[in-house]
Amino acid sequence: MITCTNICKSYTHGSARKQVLRDVNLTFAAGSRVALLGRNGAGKSTLIKLIGGVEMPTSGRITRHMSVSWPLGFAGGFQGSLTGYDNARFIARIYNRDYREMRAYVEDFTELGRQLKMPVKTYSSGMRARLAFALSLAIEFDCYLVDEIILVGDQNFQRKCQYELFEKRQDRSMILASHSTETVRDFCNEAVIIHGGIATAYDDVNHAVDLYSAL
Amino acid sequence: MAAPTMGRLRDSLAVQGRVIHALMIRELTTRFGRENIGFLWVMVEPLLFGGLVAIVWRVTHGPEEHGIGIVAFVISGYIPITLFRHCVSRTAMIFTANGSLMYHRQIKVLDFILVRFLIELLGGMMAYLFIGLILIFFDAFPMPANIGLFLAGWMLYALFTLSICLIIAPASEMSEVVEKFIPVTTYIMIPFSGLFSMQSWLTPSLRGYLAWSPFVNAMEMMRKGLWGPDITAYYNPWNPIFCTVVAAVIGLALCRRVRRTLSVE
Repeated sequence: MITCTNICKSYTHGSARKQVLRDVNLTFAAGSRVALLGRNGAGKSTLIKLIGGVEMPTSGRITRHMSVSWPLGFAGGFQGSLTGYDNARFIARIYNRDYREMRAYVEDFTELGRQLKMPVKTYSSGMRARLAFALSLAIEFDCYLVDEIILVGDQNFQRKCQYELFEKRQDRSMILASHSTETVRDFCNEAVIIHGGIATAYDDVNHAVDLYSAL
Repeated sequence: MAAPTMGRLRDSLAVQGRVIHALMIRELTTRFGRENIGFLWVMVEPLLFGGLVAIVWRVTHGPEEHGIGIVAFVISGYIPITLFRHCVSRTAMIFTANGSLMYHRQIKVLDFILVRFLIELLGGMMAYLFIGLILIFFDAFPMPANIGLFLAGWMLYALFTLSICLIIAPASEMSEVVEKFIPVTTYIMIPFSGLFSMQSWLTPSLRGYLAWSPFVNAMEMMRKGLWGPDITAYYNPWNPIFCTVVAAVIGLALCRRVRRTLSVE
């Protein structure tokens, strides 16, 4: 279970100040698949970063009672100048996993072949998505934080994700920020709409999607 | 109560150990690559710096000054100061530079500072050992008279450097002005670092002022450890110890504060 208690997050730049989240209270139960909905800049990625511990809330508390992946998104988690293999080895080291098993899984899942010997900065966003998913699936987290990135993959990748994440690991939790109402309706069983810094949780995904579409 | 706490501490230490190990390897591969001599490059810079300046001084100042070999004297001053300058310049804006690593919760901001410090420390010590052995072979460097005192001085110098880095890293993120002042400050401080002179060569009043500098105290310890009875040294080991503790406390508090406001892309 993950609980967010009275989370506020504001960014300051010089004298300018922007409050992104105001007093957010949310509970994510084990096994729930939560969609984060909201318009651009509403604070979906910010909330995911706070839950992942990448950034700290300005005030409030986040407690995690399960293992939570790093936010799988377009940026972060990789060192661009290192190769795919080097990044895999680094992640295996810090998460205390066997590198050979991880390499085998990454080669199989990403199907990137020789490209894994190239620096990650030469990868397309779809290729990065494959690598990020492969590494986090190899580590086996209880809860996966996914920031938009599923959508950049091709058909083959989406099929794989669907099988590995939604079928094989059905018991896991997931928090998914997405603009694709189709993906949300298909895979999520709860939804949170972030609007004007306020987060509201809904049990009925279809209802939430309708509300979100009307924003 | 005590047992689970100790267990947790042990687990956390194991995690930090793994993280530092992984970060060291990552840092060495990104900075030096795997081509030619690879990570041995880490000692080339202090080696070149110390070596070339020593040659220049040998030419301009003659073979000896105040009865000790000029080459050994310059090397004994330049390798520590290279450690300090490299550490400081490498820790400025270190959190932003390593932003993508903060995606992994077990990596703490202190690990970044510690890793870069350890790499510079390793490079400096390897360079010192390398050049020292060569010069001892050619009789241009003293066999350390008191290796314990020398190492104690080196450690105090290094720890004070680390404690300064703990302040520089968060301060450079808080204000861009800090970052711009770093090069000129490290340059201005050179005369106050004990690099060019022993305390005993100075007038008593000047010596009194420099005795406040933790660098000077640590440098005097190192040189006393090298030359032993051939020189007179003035030092108080409590000065660098005290300064290190104060700077480290301030630095750790700043790191904690800055981490809360850090925005990561």
